Amino acid sequence: MRKILIVDDSASMRQMVGFTLRDGGYEVLEAEHGQDALDKLKTTTVDLIVTDLNMPVMDGITLIQEVRKQPAMKLKPILMLTTEGLASRKEQAKAAGATGWLVKPFEPEKLLSTVSKVLP
Amino acid sequence: MCVGSGGADSMNQPLPTASEVFRPEQLAGMAGLSSASSGDDDLSQYLPHLDRMSAQLTQTSSQIESSVLMVCQSFQEIAVRAKATVAMGRTFVSGADDDHHGQAEGSFDTLLKRCGHTLVHVLNITELSTEVSRRAVERVKQIERASRKITGALDQLNEITKGNRIMALNARIEAAHAGERGAGFAVVAVEVAAQSERSQQVTSQISGFVEELRALAVSTLTDLEQTIQRDQAQVERCRIEVQESLDELQSSHRRMKQVLDSISRDGEVLANDIGIAVRGMQFQDRVSQRIAHVVHDLSVLRSQLAARTAEDGGTGQCGAENFAAYTMREERLVAGSTEAESAEGDVELF
Repeated sequence: MRKILIVDDSASMRQMVGFTLRDGGYEVLEAEHGQDALDKLKTTTVDLIVTDLNMPVMDGITLIQEVRKQPAMKLKPILMLTTEGLASRKEQAKAAGATGWLVKPFEPEKLLSTVSKVLP
Repeated sequence: MCVGSGGADSMNQPLPTASEVFRPEQLAGMAGLSSASSGDDDLSQYLPHLDRMSAQLTQTSSQIESSVLMVCQSFQEIAVRAKATVAMGRTFVSGADDDHHGQAEGSFDTLLKRCGHTLVHVLNITELSTEVSRRAVERVKQIERASRKITGALDQLNEITKGNRIMALNARIEAAHAGERGAGFAVVAVEVAAQSERSQQVTSQISGFVEELRALAVSTLTDLEQTIQRDQAQVERCRIEVQESLDELQSSHRRMKQVLDSISRDGEVLANDIGIAVRGMQFQDRVSQRIAHVVHDLSVLRSQLAARTAEDGGTGQCGAENFAAYTMREERLVAGSTEAESAEGDVELF
């Protein structure tokens, strides 16, 4: 079963994203912010990261930059799931190594179809 | 439920600034810009209010999140239960086993098929039994015909015996006519007559046995024919009854399948509705962010007011630009920005 790490400071968002992905047949791990995600990645490997942009402690862009430094995570897909839609922020995420960008509120089916596209 | 679209549109409106939230005189008074009546003593009275406002907003945000979490949890449980019910119903009706793609044990379809197979098996065995009985009937008839032939042969033997007795009688008459010379011939004639008598007795006994045998054969034949007729009638009745029961079962099965199909469709609609609800409840994420912005603004305002009352003596400047120090500055900027958003919609793969 493919494993997905959800990174979001909102517990309800983690729950909604987690429910959608579990319903789609994925195993789900959760982290509250970027640093929490990095800590979890020290002990486990995942097939995909779905991260929020604005979070306390460590934001999504910094998380992506840190994750991309790890050889094992260099080619793994990372999706941003955020309320932001600003083109400049998208460019920042893209430059940091994000695979895709989804805007909240998300539609469960759209999230699943996007995940299946980046996880062939 | 369409919270997602309407709510999202309203939430995409630019966030109000502190100057939009407070009346100008309030803001000026809190920031120490008023030259008329608001001294440091007046400003200090706002501090507890600001603390309470921050605390209430934070608490409200937390309560909204807790409520949304509970609602989400309930929806998830509903979705899981609905899914399990639909899967169980489908398995029961069609026998489709999702894991093995085969016929599930104990499914209704399997049960009906088994009943049908058992019925055919029972009918085949009964047919075989009837065939054996028919062959037995034919053999008993053959026995009966054979016994008739034996009776005919015994009749012929009786005629021969009668002829022998007449011949012996004539021989004794002729021996009497011969006198002393015919005495030995007379003894033979008597013996022939005696043998003919015994032969007739034996023939008569055999005839009796054959008659008994024929009577038994006829009786057996009658019993067998009656049994065959009765069995055939019972088998036909059973076949009709079982067929009617199977028809009723199949009819019930079809109705049950229709009901379960309907439940299944309802389940899909429910899953879709839950998807919409999940989308709608994401308003809480934005609400939390905005409350965090307001709380942060209040915090800035409070620290500035505190600084003013403690140090500045009511003459310093507290510009509105200080209120732009947000924890999520970019998100704030996006809300009020005129910069064009990506034309790719809400999903974009790089």
